[in-house]
Amino acid sequence: MSSVLPATNRARRTRRRGTDSQTFLSSLPWIGPALLLILAIVVFPAGYMIYNSTRKISSVGTDLESAGLENFVTIFQDPVLPRVLLNTVLWVVSVVVITVLLSLVLAQFLNKPFPGRTIVRMAVIVPWAASVVMTTTVFYYGLDPNYGIFNHFFVQLGLMDEGYGWTKNAVPAIAVSVVVAIFVSIPFTTYTLLAGLQAIPQETLEAARVDGAGRWKTYLLVIIPQLRSALAVSMLINIINVFNNLPILKVMTGSIPGNSADTLMTYIFKVLQFDRRLDLSSALSVVNFAIVLVIVAIYVKTVKPMQEI
Amino acid sequence: MKRTTRTGVLALSTAAALLLTSCGFSDNGGGSADASGGTTTLNMLVPTYSDGTKGLWEGVIADFEAEHENIDVNLEVQSWENIEGVLKTKLQGGQAPDIYNGGAFAEFAAEGLLAPASDIASQETIDDFQTTFADAEKFEGTQFGLPLIASARALFYNKALMEEAGVDAVPTTWEELHDASKLISEKTKADGYGMPLGSEEAQGESLIWFAGNGGSFGDSQKISVNTPQNLEAAEFMKKMVDDGVTQNDPGATQRTPMLNTFVQGKLGFAYALPQTIGQIEDENPKLDYGVAAVPTKSGEPATLGVADRLMSFRNDGSKSAAVKEFMDYFFSADVYTDWVSTEGFLPTTKSGSEKMAGDETLTPFLDMLPNAVFYPTTNPAWNATDGAFKSLMGELGTGKSAQEVLESIQAKADAAS
Repeated sequence: MSSVLPATNRARRTRRRGTDSQTFLSSLPWIGPALLLILAIVVFPAGYMIYNSTRKISSVGTDLESAGLENFVTIFQDPVLPRVLLNTVLWVVSVVVITVLLSLVLAQFLNKPFPGRTIVRMAVIVPWAASVVMTTTVFYYGLDPNYGIFNHFFVQLGLMDEGYGWTKNAVPAIAVSVVVAIFVSIPFTTYTLLAGLQAIPQETLEAARVDGAGRWKTYLLVIIPQLRSALAVSMLINIINVFNNLPILKVMTGSIPGNSADTLMTYIFKVLQFDRRLDLSSALSVVNFAIVLVIVAIYVKTVKPMQEI
Repeated sequence: MKRTTRTGVLALSTAAALLLTSCGFSDNGGGSADASGGTTTLNMLVPTYSDGTKGLWEGVIADFEAEHENIDVNLEVQSWENIEGVLKTKLQGGQAPDIYNGGAFAEFAAEGLLAPASDIASQETIDDFQTTFADAEKFEGTQFGLPLIASARALFYNKALMEEAGVDAVPTTWEELHDASKLISEKTKADGYGMPLGSEEAQGESLIWFAGNGGSFGDSQKISVNTPQNLEAAEFMKKMVDDGVTQNDPGATQRTPMLNTFVQGKLGFAYALPQTIGQIEDENPKLDYGVAAVPTKSGEPATLGVADRLMSFRNDGSKSAAVKEFMDYFFSADVYTDWVSTEGFLPTTKSGSEKMAGDETLTPFLDMLPNAVFYPTTNPAWNATDGAFKSLMGELGTGKSAQEVLESIQAKADAAS
């Protein structure tokens, strides 16, 4: 996630001194290492992925010959792709929307002074501090039909006769994955929104009160507009994170046969793991990459998160 | 000042470019022997057969290194679920292991990546393998793999549950297995038959059933999954699932956790391995169980046999002498039988079989080996077929028809050959 810093006056002044290319060259020693790092760990792998997607690669991994766009033709003719894309959309929309709504409530709550607030604030961070795979695995075992604690609980309460395979069938498995994804996304989202709330000047709230706005009106018309940049950042990062999420789905839905529970990400992984098609999975990754780029572009265009209020 | 900066930048970018090209597109790099000082380092990649596998190999390697001071063996242990992914990454990065323990080998041999057996073991070692196993290691007439272990699946049955449900005889045919499982499912709190069609065992469970109807996965020339015999077997598997005589969600069940429920006495029947006997002894010695031949359609004996192998990736060929030393040492009767018997497998060498002939727990499995059907590991498309079984066979348990499932697996196999 890159951040754009507004050019300061000093930067503008230096640029005027020489031509642009000269300035760039003289700044290279400072930005060089960062550029190299970006080239090595972002640009090169992405380029290599795009290159691989146009090759025919044997299941062992030997690069055989150029395949042109054949790999893309194959993946777009794949009968499971529509279901996979639908799953992906449902997965991203449900996780991000519910996470943001819950976080708005939580952030509002944590912004109010009350005894023990620090402890509650710390508690909210916990899911963030634990490894996602660990958290998910705990849920996964908890939901196991034979010895899972959740199933045991429901059976003891008399709600069910015997344990149910939550993670063994497509629909419930995606549903519980959504719950876990919300659980691990809430800390980041809440803290971003909390920071946004704390940056709202008290004067605007006072002015609203003086003008006779009620609580809901103040919230919708004064607070939410001022939260826009915080909301924008948290939604964008969540969309990309959730879209590209592998660990949760791999653990929760990994044992389900076929592709009925796959998102684009887990499908790419299965094509690589079971079909051993490096070329096809690269082509799918390129599609994945393009989708993320489009989401970001649409988002930047419509919400204009970089614009100052 | 400016000049030096530019030179520096130039040097840096050149270095970066070299770095990038060398780690990305090189064909020959990596895996080379550190010949300096006369020490050869062998990279070894093996899967875990049991919790003790790592320690067992470490023991073998320590003893080997004590005898051969100029050879270092670098051991890497991976789970069966991950090892093929790890190997693939290593192959692409030019870091192919010098010694690899795996299932399929033909696709590697077909691309010329493997060293022939004659380069990695002495003639005496090669001659010591039983002929049937050695033949299964040949690709286009040349032997590549060195058979490491053999194993067979057998029916494990829980005597206490059978008694509780009123089942008198151990089933020998599909129908009997179906009816006995049904009784156990209905009359006890346990499940009748355990069918693990998850990605761990789908291919094994399928071949046990297919073999029970005279079917197979094909041969070195052609993968044939969608055949009438296999279809009939798959339909009977589906009948087991639909009639509710198996555990819940068979399509998403892995073998290891399922066998744990058998060990805990909560499952009537399951196909398991020689190692399961040891697991029961360790974890639940009171379990009242028996081991019998796999039930088939007609009652004629048939089962799934498994043979895994050691192979060596050729790399630049400089290390084959060291690999040969290691293989000859490992397959010597004492070292080898110790390894095989500790892991609970059947030996593949003549000298090893003679040494282990007295082991009684292995008798039911040794008896079944002559009727065992093996995976078509000599077919280069086997790996893709294996993957298709792992990812698709479970759909038998989630509503797809047997015909559809076999067709989709056959299609993946055809696409790879």
